[in-house]
Amino acid sequence: MKLRKVITIVEEIRTEGGREVYPPARIAVVAAVIENPWAGQGFVEDLTQGINETASDVGALLAPQVLEALDAPAEAYGKAAIVGLDGEVEHGSGLIHTLQFGDHFRKAANATTLLPAVEKRGPAGIVFDIPLKHITDATIRSHHQTVEVRIADAPHPNEIVVALAAAAQGRPQQRLAPLSSEQ
Amino acid sequence: MQEIDRSTEIGLRKLVVYREDVVTEAGVAPIRPARQATAAAVVHNPWIGTGPTHDLSDAVAKMAPTLARLLTDRLIAALGGVDAIEAFGKAAIVGSAGEIEHGGALIHTPYFGNLMREFLGGDSIICFADTRADAGESLVVPLWHKTAAATRSHYQTVTTRVSDAPRADEIVVVAAASTGSRPHPRIGDRTTDPAITTKTLESVLS
Repeated sequence: MKLRKVITIVEEIRTEGGREVYPPARIAVVAAVIENPWAGQGFVEDLTQGINETASDVGALLAPQVLEALDAPAEAYGKAAIVGLDGEVEHGSGLIHTLQFGDHFRKAANATTLLPAVEKRGPAGIVFDIPLKHITDATIRSHHQTVEVRIADAPHPNEIVVALAAAAQGRPQQRLAPLSSEQ
Repeated sequence: MQEIDRSTEIGLRKLVVYREDVVTEAGVAPIRPARQATAAAVVHNPWIGTGPTHDLSDAVAKMAPTLARLLTDRLIAALGGVDAIEAFGKAAIVGSAGEIEHGGALIHTPYFGNLMREFLGGDSIICFADTRADAGESLVVPLWHKTAAATRSHYQTVTTRVSDAPRADEIVVVAAASTGSRPHPRIGDRTTDPAITTKTLESVLS
């Protein structure tokens, strides 16, 4: 893995809808800006080697850092792969849609559900939203939320931004009826 | 020190801390890797509905010291301590219903600047950027050395942005810092510069 930089973002929400949020709602994101393992290789039919050389390492780098940044037990989580303009979205998907990537986060967070994800291609400075869902029950509606990210100078055309997001709670002021109440 | 929660008193909606750890630049690890961070507070603009002759000083004295404390606490935690911090800068993004003067009031008076300088262990003037913008606008914040502002290796910037702020009646107040220089500084310094004047460069300029 050729790593250029690591970005950490922590949001603390103190009020929402004009009312206090207590304790403050916390969401953390950690993103790694890495070289696309398939950069300059043309169309690569079998992505297995690049996945095996990269996905577990980047998952192992990000998982402990996002939980440290959150500084609280994670209740919701999500992931992202933002591919620079010379790559394929398939490259980003290859890195994050594998158990060897996600299991680092699942284990560290005592989580069991699939990680919701965003994958897209764009220029440096692209804004992307990471979706988050509850770590053990993806139907818990209070925890469906997103966090927005922008890195001014990434991804370069030959790079991929791989990110993990964690929230310590559901949406601030969440007050929707649970899914079960409609069944 | 236990943080006293003054969120309500200063109209604080959210805090966003952003940190960058440069591992490689141009493919090479810096000899002294640096971290940059911004800490941004989204507050209600206390002067909404007041005119351009309104005295800003009361709200400044009430809000700016708390902002300086909150934001520098976040920076110090994100960057590994006061001693690790070598460069600093500050910024304000004023929502569209406010005046740039309102942002200036929160960052350019001693109630913010002197305290930020003291909390971060510096003595330089703190360089800055300000703008009036809609929510989600990016602002590039300049940084320079906290005790020797002319140190050229430490001239650098970091981009700050809060996705949903400022609303029209809000101000985003930002403190920023770095633990070192640009990744590969190599453009000399005042001590190594040749004496350049229009006369010494006559051949190039003519």
